[in-house]
Amino acid sequence: MTTKLIRIRNCADVAAHICENLDYKLNSRKCREIKKHIARCANCTAYLDSMKKTVKLYHLVPNPRVPSSARAKLYKVLKLAK
Amino acid sequence: MKGLELHNGEEMKLIRLAQKGDKRAFTRLVKKYEDVVFRFSVKVCRDGEKAEEAFQDTFVNVFKKLKQFDGKSKFTTWLYKIVANNCLMKRRRSKLDQASVPLETPEGFREEPLRDSDGRVIQTVPSWKSTPLDRVMNAELRRILDKAIEKLPPEYRAVFVLRDVEEQSAEETAKILSLSVPAVKSRLHRARAFLREQLHPYMKA
Repeated sequence: MTTKLIRIRNCADVAAHICENLDYKLNSRKCREIKKHIARCANCTAYLDSMKKTVKLYHLVPNPRVPSSARAKLYKVLKLAK
Repeated sequence: MKGLELHNGEEMKLIRLAQKGDKRAFTRLVKKYEDVVFRFSVKVCRDGEKAEEAFQDTFVNVFKKLKQFDGKSKFTTWLYKIVANNCLMKRRRSKLDQASVPLETPEGFREEPLRDSDGRVIQTVPSWKSTPLDRVMNAELRRILDKAIEKLPPEYRAVFVLRDVEEQSAEETAKILSLSVPAVKSRLHRARAFLREQLHPYMKA
């Protein structure tokens, strides 16, 4: 299998691929090129930071818990012991 | 699945027992995954009543189809697939959210950046506030975020939740939603970019 090489030439290329791995733990050639571009581009740095913050903000929303009525209904339907 | 993995062997033993009709083993599986299934249902369905329905239907489906689980994929992948089918089917039935997500160009964004006379990039994309996020989060921002999530078509929302909340890989997400990996990447990009644009007016410094 051949790997498709994607050239990172400008901010538009960075923006198109910035989302694949926000933390850039990967060390692929594409990631290295993106990191290199971001390191010297204030706009892409600001864009990446705002993307990361978007995801982090969503993590601050409390997770819903199963309402006891829904759980009771489920256990009754499936005849499960509580 | 976050913080809930049994050791593979232990979980598989429980599944095998439940497949043979052991009610106690099945109850343990339900107890283990009920919060995960409900959380995912709420985040994808978005409607409390539909989420409860999807929660009920998912475990009824699991009960009926557990014998079909062959252990070739992760149990969680199989489970998420059932929840996603229940949630997305309900949305399709109600003929909502058929639109795709517009991918707005970020404010100040240029393909080629402006440069000063020394060749340094001039920042045109506004930075976001550097205030710690838990201090930024208030009722108004929560409402904006909630509205933004609501506007995302469920097929994009499901990708965003699976990748960014449930921390599934692109490959697992593709299996769960019966999509190709490039389609998962593209929807994730669009979903994140859309949410970012919705928050941008409030968050820019």
